[in-house]
Amino acid sequence: MRLGLAALLAFAATTCAGADPPQFTAAELGRIAAHGPWPLPWTADPGNRVSGDAAAIRLGHALFFEPRLSANRRVACASCHDPARGFQDGRATARGLVAGTRNTPGLFNVRHQRWFGWDGAHDNLWSASLRPILDPREMGGKAARVARALRGKSALDCHYTAAFGKRPDAGDPELLVNVAKAIAAWQETLVSPATAFDEFRNALQRGDAEAAAAYPAAAQRGLGLFLGRGQCTTCHAGPLFSNGEFGDIGMPFFIAPDAVDPGRQGGIKRLLASPYNLLGAHNDDRMRDDPTRSNATGTKFLRAEHRNFGEFKVPTLRNLTLTAPYMHNGSIVTLREVVKHYSELDEDRLHADGERILKPLHLAEAEIDDLVAFLESLSPDAAPPAPIAPPAVPTCRER
Amino acid sequence: MKSWRLPAREAESPADRVRRDGCWRCVLAASILGLTAAANAACPPAAADGTVLKSGDLVLAYRPLLKGKPDRIPMAQHFALEVQLCDQGGISAARLHKADATMPEHRHGINYRPAITALGGGRFRVEGMMLHMAGHWRLSFEVQAGGQTIPLAHDVQID
Repeated sequence: MRLGLAALLAFAATTCAGADPPQFTAAELGRIAAHGPWPLPWTADPGNRVSGDAAAIRLGHALFFEPRLSANRRVACASCHDPARGFQDGRATARGLVAGTRNTPGLFNVRHQRWFGWDGAHDNLWSASLRPILDPREMGGKAARVARALRGKSALDCHYTAAFGKRPDAGDPELLVNVAKAIAAWQETLVSPATAFDEFRNALQRGDAEAAAAYPAAAQRGLGLFLGRGQCTTCHAGPLFSNGEFGDIGMPFFIAPDAVDPGRQGGIKRLLASPYNLLGAHNDDRMRDDPTRSNATGTKFLRAEHRNFGEFKVPTLRNLTLTAPYMHNGSIVTLREVVKHYSELDEDRLHADGERILKPLHLAEAEIDDLVAFLESLSPDAAPPAPIAPPAVPTCRER
Repeated sequence: MKSWRLPAREAESPADRVRRDGCWRCVLAASILGLTAAANAACPPAAADGTVLKSGDLVLAYRPLLKGKPDRIPMAQHFALEVQLCDQGGISAARLHKADATMPEHRHGINYRPAITALGGGRFRVEGMMLHMAGHWRLSFEVQAGGQTIPLAHDVQID
């Protein structure tokens, strides 16, 4: 039936657009289906005991936009993670208290990630949220400052107490972790909307050729390249269009004439040295010691390899139109240039241990157009509206 | 190259059932199963014991232990393997020494270092596996028996 639908779809799109979209094989239709459904079901983070908690979500939202957590009282999480830009900042590299060396990642759909940061130096969202608060290059926060900010506003104080069962205390060793867990609880609610691709994928699933034909022919041809000659799904798989792991795609790793960004190699070292990883005492997962169910499985069995040098996280391809520029160092400005990077890949720049199947695609200009059209179809038509503050919990209203 | 499919048998251990149900009957059943693990070991392995590999007299059967019981090894998700070793005499005294996976065309392996736990009765559990890319993978095992190391391998296609 799917092959019949593909043939019908090809006919319908051809007659409408005057250009030939591909006829997807049964295997390709299966792989298209694997990129959905969207959105994914939400589940609470077992490592964060306030995941899904209304008081924590409200608190986390307020703290995300709170500049008083920073050393100069001017930098908030939202300074770099701008809701109007898919929670990115539009800069090549981030700028907190000082300039950074990596591109700010967007925050939509972070609940579904395994590793956080371009080097995966964090195995959980609350740890990844705590690092910029404490990093002297980003916010330069301290426990005393955070406690002051919380106790200075009765609504924050009340929601902290409601979420964690105690008032914020600068002397509490859990204070900073709790704050990070609240910020994580709010970020977990950030889910990007369904896109033109999702509508196409769903139409194929229900056998609705007419609805599927509404998906632009150029995007369909781009999808064909994505699945076929490009072999992009080798890494950009699943509903997030990412396998959540790391790869070396030949991007430069020098950040200064005498300094390099080691990528995943450094990330693994930082992760394993962190007291906030999932092997540590702050992991709330009750199954943490279960060999087959623990949320710490990835960290427990990590294997550092020489090839990790120069590897960076395979990013999601959703919401790309909101989150330019691209790559770990923000060095590529447009999606067209990203596609050209793969088309003209310089194999000599791939490190000795790099991914051996990466070859230049040598795409024609029209094929580049098609792949860009496909990638654009993975983003919403416009930036979703800025998230409104979650409601206050009943015990904290009128504060 | 073979497409790997999970056998129809439930991919759930007695311990999993205990956690799920939390009832004393399950605790009792799990205890009995644990005490008689060697007696119940499947030698020679049946289809329900998973994919069967052979090298001389040695037989290795493996099956993934997966949440939700999907019928294929999923891409980029952690899973554990249960391995049974047998020989002509029944349960093998050999030891599973190593389990790993590589992508021959990519010339790299997995990002994790699996750990092996002996369960008794020739059974072993391999934890920490993840095939993180689509494509052709080679699962490889090393079994130590009688001072020899015996390699076994099986190709799987991950989509």
